[in-house]
Amino acid sequence: MAITRREFIKANAALSAATVAGISLPASATNLIVSSDDTKIKWQKAPCRFCGTGCSVLVGTQNGRVVGTQGDPEAPVNKGLNCVKGYFLSKIMYGSDRLQQPLLRMTDGKYDKHGEFHPVSWDTAFDVMADKWKQALKAKGPTSVGMFGSGQWTVMEGYAAVKLMKAGFRSNNIDPNARHCMASAVGGFMRTFGIDEPMGCYDDFENADVFVLWGSNMAEMHPVLWTRLTDRRLSHEHVRVNVLSTYHHRSFELADNSIIFTPQSDLVMANFIANYIIQNDAVNWDFVNKHTNFKRTATDIGYGLRDDHPLQKAAANPNSGAMSPMSFDEYKAAVAEYTLEKTVEMTGVPAERLLELAKYYADPNLKVMSLWTMGMNQHTRGVWMNSLVYNIHLLTGKISQPGNGPFSLTGQPSACGTAREVGTFSHRLPADMMVANPKHRQISEKIWKLPEGTIPPKPGFHAVLQDRKLKDGVLNAYWVMCNNNMQAGPNINEERLPGYRNPENFIVCSDPYPTVTAQAADLILPTAMWVEKEGAYGNAERRTQAWYQQVKAPGEAKSDLWQLMEFSKRFTVEEAWGKEFVAQHPEYTGKTLYQVLFRNGQVDKYPLSEAQPLNDDARDQGFYVQKGLFEEYATFGRGHGHDLAPYDVYHQVRGLRWPVVDGKETQWRFAEGSDPYVPAGSGFRFYGKKDGKADIIFAPFEGAPEVPDQEYDMWLCTGRVLEHWHSGTMTARVPELYKAVPDALCYINPADAKKRNLRRGDEVLLQSRRGEVLCRVETRGRNRPPEGLVFVPFFDARILINKLTLDATDPLSKQTDFKKCAIKISKA
Amino acid sequence: MKHKIIFTSLFSTAILMASTWATANDNPGGIGGVHSLRGDAELEQTRPADPLKKVSRQVSKLDNNFVGQPPMIPHHIRNYEISMNANKCLSCHSWKQAKESGAVKISVTHYQNRSDQILSDVSPRRYFCVQCHVPQVDAKPLIKNDFKEVESLRPNSND
Amino acid sequence: MALLKSFFKRLTSPSKAALGIVLFMGFIGGLLFWGAFNTGMEATNTEEFCSGCHAPIVLEIQETIHYSNRSGVRAICSDCHVPHNWTDKIVRKVQASKELVAFAMGTISTTEKFQARRAHLAEREWKRMKDNNSQECRNCHEFAFMDFSEQAPRSVKQHSTALASGDKTCVDCHKGIAHKLPDMKNVENWQ
Repeated sequence: MAITRREFIKANAALSAATVAGISLPASATNLIVSSDDTKIKWQKAPCRFCGTGCSVLVGTQNGRVVGTQGDPEAPVNKGLNCVKGYFLSKIMYGSDRLQQPLLRMTDGKYDKHGEFHPVSWDTAFDVMADKWKQALKAKGPTSVGMFGSGQWTVMEGYAAVKLMKAGFRSNNIDPNARHCMASAVGGFMRTFGIDEPMGCYDDFENADVFVLWGSNMAEMHPVLWTRLTDRRLSHEHVRVNVLSTYHHRSFELADNSIIFTPQSDLVMANFIANYIIQNDAVNWDFVNKHTNFKRTATDIGYGLRDDHPLQKAAANPNSGAMSPMSFDEYKAAVAEYTLEKTVEMTGVPAERLLELAKYYADPNLKVMSLWTMGMNQHTRGVWMNSLVYNIHLLTGKISQPGNGPFSLTGQPSACGTAREVGTFSHRLPADMMVANPKHRQISEKIWKLPEGTIPPKPGFHAVLQDRKLKDGVLNAYWVMCNNNMQAGPNINEERLPGYRNPENFIVCSDPYPTVTAQAADLILPTAMWVEKEGAYGNAERRTQAWYQQVKAPGEAKSDLWQLMEFSKRFTVEEAWGKEFVAQHPEYTGKTLYQVLFRNGQVDKYPLSEAQPLNDDARDQGFYVQKGLFEEYATFGRGHGHDLAPYDVYHQVRGLRWPVVDGKETQWRFAEGSDPYVPAGSGFRFYGKKDGKADIIFAPFEGAPEVPDQEYDMWLCTGRVLEHWHSGTMTARVPELYKAVPDALCYINPADAKKRNLRRGDEVLLQSRRGEVLCRVETRGRNRPPEGLVFVPFFDARILINKLTLDATDPLSKQTDFKKCAIKISKA
Repeated sequence: MKHKIIFTSLFSTAILMASTWATANDNPGGIGGVHSLRGDAELEQTRPADPLKKVSRQVSKLDNNFVGQPPMIPHHIRNYEISMNANKCLSCHSWKQAKESGAVKISVTHYQNRSDQILSDVSPRRYFCVQCHVPQVDAKPLIKNDFKEVESLRPNSND
Repeated sequence: MALLKSFFKRLTSPSKAALGIVLFMGFIGGLLFWGAFNTGMEATNTEEFCSGCHAPIVLEIQETIHYSNRSGVRAICSDCHVPHNWTDKIVRKVQASKELVAFAMGTISTTEKFQARRAHLAEREWKRMKDNNSQECRNCHEFAFMDFSEQAPRSVKQHSTALASGDKTCVDCHKGIAHKLPDMKNVENWQ
């Protein structure tokens, strides 16, 4: 049947119009797509599986399979658009090597770390796994078990995981891959505002006069938000775009002011702008006096390396986040050091470009939106850097107003919704609460209906610490879920791979596909993904979006949620909590973790009949498990600035931005009239802090831990590309996306290539102090680094660029700096 | 010459054995027989880089697999400028130029703004074409994909 | 008088030897002049010389097919921007002396200034090439020797019609092939 382009469009439009959630179109209404009456395509909404933008897509299913996806025209985020990854969502579940059975390393039918993987039943898998957990708990206690989770978990999965770990196993050793991604942003928010996540929202894109990208290649990493920014820039003559980066990338195509700076010198630039604002009398005194305090942070804080690392030993205040008050005059004197001359010298940026940037911030008549992602977060001074940008916005009062504000973009689809809001970090609890705070533990234990003292007070092992503890044999039973950390984490050779393969350890990997993490594990659990389960995600603008299950998972693959809950059934509280603890709370005697955590009268409150007919997780548990978990979780935030709407509402709307109070979402937090938590007459109130004031925190420039020298003479920067999501597990299995960007290349300046006698396409050996990889040279691709820096994406499992990266972190956020380490390059 | 070959092969066998030995000790079980996107290469192996791929010079339009799929770019786009100054793609694919250039016209949806109003020119939000449309290299996919088109979009067997 | 006459005669009819010397000196002088002139002309045709003022453009060409390609044949600035035929070349070089003033005034001495002037510079080149029927393109890409069977169908279509009839010339379509484009909003047949 020949279909012309025009007819396609017609059919497409008809579908879009008629496809609100769950409506099934009879074949005749779609006239072209299906030709017989007994065939129907059912279209339902779901948030995109990939980045933190949180586009909504319409998923078309027929005969139990996804047959198409399209941008959701009703969604305020993307209004019908997707990026190329989003358009190909329909294929991500159909890679021919989907895992369909648990696989266990065995020799002669028994678990053996030296063995090859063999298919086993779920029962056997959980038996062996539970046995390993029990052994570890018995021998070394709760700190010997751990979990590495994800900002791609659904809200409910993250919530069930944090509950299972912190209350079930009484271990805080749970951290999400969002640690690699957003931890510095969280640190910045908590220090400056006392409450996490952006005050602004995507509506800022349609209202700003000036955009400043501080280390974000939105054109590739947040393509649909880039369409909104592009729309604004190209339809309004006066709008200006500033792009700041350590190398030239696609976002520069829209730049009015292009700034390529020396790695790490963004700290200098931010302080220079603050200095410029003060020197040119552009401080918004009314705002500063009413709504801010000045503070300085402890300096010389090290690099989050192992304690015995020389750089850690050399630091005066390793890992210190201490802050002390300072006066405005002291602040003024502190930033005065960052003169234009000094900034030009340290950043390598021409004076006129720096001035242009500073003037935009200083001009009271221009609304400025600052945006950033990994350039600023994956930074050994990432928390400082986040706050330095807030300083600029607070000094000028350009915050919490339409088009005016700092906006930390999120990497993952639910880094906000799951990792941050649910609190799946080793130091966090739901709704911004901390395990180290006795009051917060108490609140959580009360909501969870658990004995006081269940949650341990000491923060657990964060991402890179988990690797180190695995290697050292301290952490022995470890579950990696919904991420591919072997590929995505830093310093594969020295820490993580030896850690996973340490004979003392038992590593479990849950994934839909065989990843390199799965290859390094001891037990692989086949996992249901995306619309094979019901769930909810929270995007970068605080928008919570839910979706229904739409197809069944292949074979025996099960959702992360099912896996967590089934695993909890294998432990009695005696086994998990210890007899002594249970003796103090005899009412729990003999109960399973499943009973105390998930059959507590709250999680199991909603009957199966409320769930959709296709909801395998609910069917398996016998109650509407997603709703129960969501509603219990929501009680943490309601009335505390994190209010969520009733669960069912999220299935009717295209998401809502929290706090949702009286059914109304919040666009600009901290601003009177928009945020219901701001009292009338106050204008603004930063209610995350007790006095309602945000902190302007001075932090100086401090160098990077590893800089190029004579031998390792180049900077290595890693990151993503538009066509692939993170480690390529899903996207590299979509033929069109694979063929668009088949290999990770080494983007290098032609002059650097010439110096080493390299041509485009040559195979080169990249070596750092930690490892080596081979890849091919690209001298004229989409990324054009300056001399002295190369960019290599991390999506390619065949290359594993993270063998080279250093596991240095921001000492406060514990987030790795994937953007800076020293390497050398030679012809292979 | 022959000796040299024998020596080289002996030498490489020795290296191979040495690395196998190292694997057995530091990495019990290795990858355990599971293949990933990396194939069966051990994780500690420095895998040779695959050859650079070329964008194929396809003459025919690439097939769509489902409604709403952005068409792939069936030609190379080396040095095609899409910037504030110029959009090389539109110099052939815009409605104005398409007739003369013989190129495929961009979809009508590209003339709508966020509020679904029809504009007189391409919507600025659609300006950066390569966010959705990408060229394809001449390469076999790493992993077969079992996605199935709806009946009406399946290519005819006699095509 | 006779003395005067012979002196006059000597003046009017120089000796053969003298004539030879004069001619020889003239020849050598001419040779030196021509050599110097040509060397000078050639020196002003090198990429280094061009990049003295047009540095950003010289960087831009490095990404394009006119700089690097499978056979290693490449064009430098002068191949496209200076006529090859002698008289035209001299005319262009004389015009170029005007550009020395621009150099002295620093008209495009910074990247920003260069960007601001890019449209002006580009339009002048497009016009020059349109007027000379894209002569500098044709120095290498001769229409008579194009093998249409080796070209993509759309190229064949354009080349065999508009280009063949002389209705269009190379630069009408092939703009920005070696460096970035200026603002193309008001350029005919573009977008």
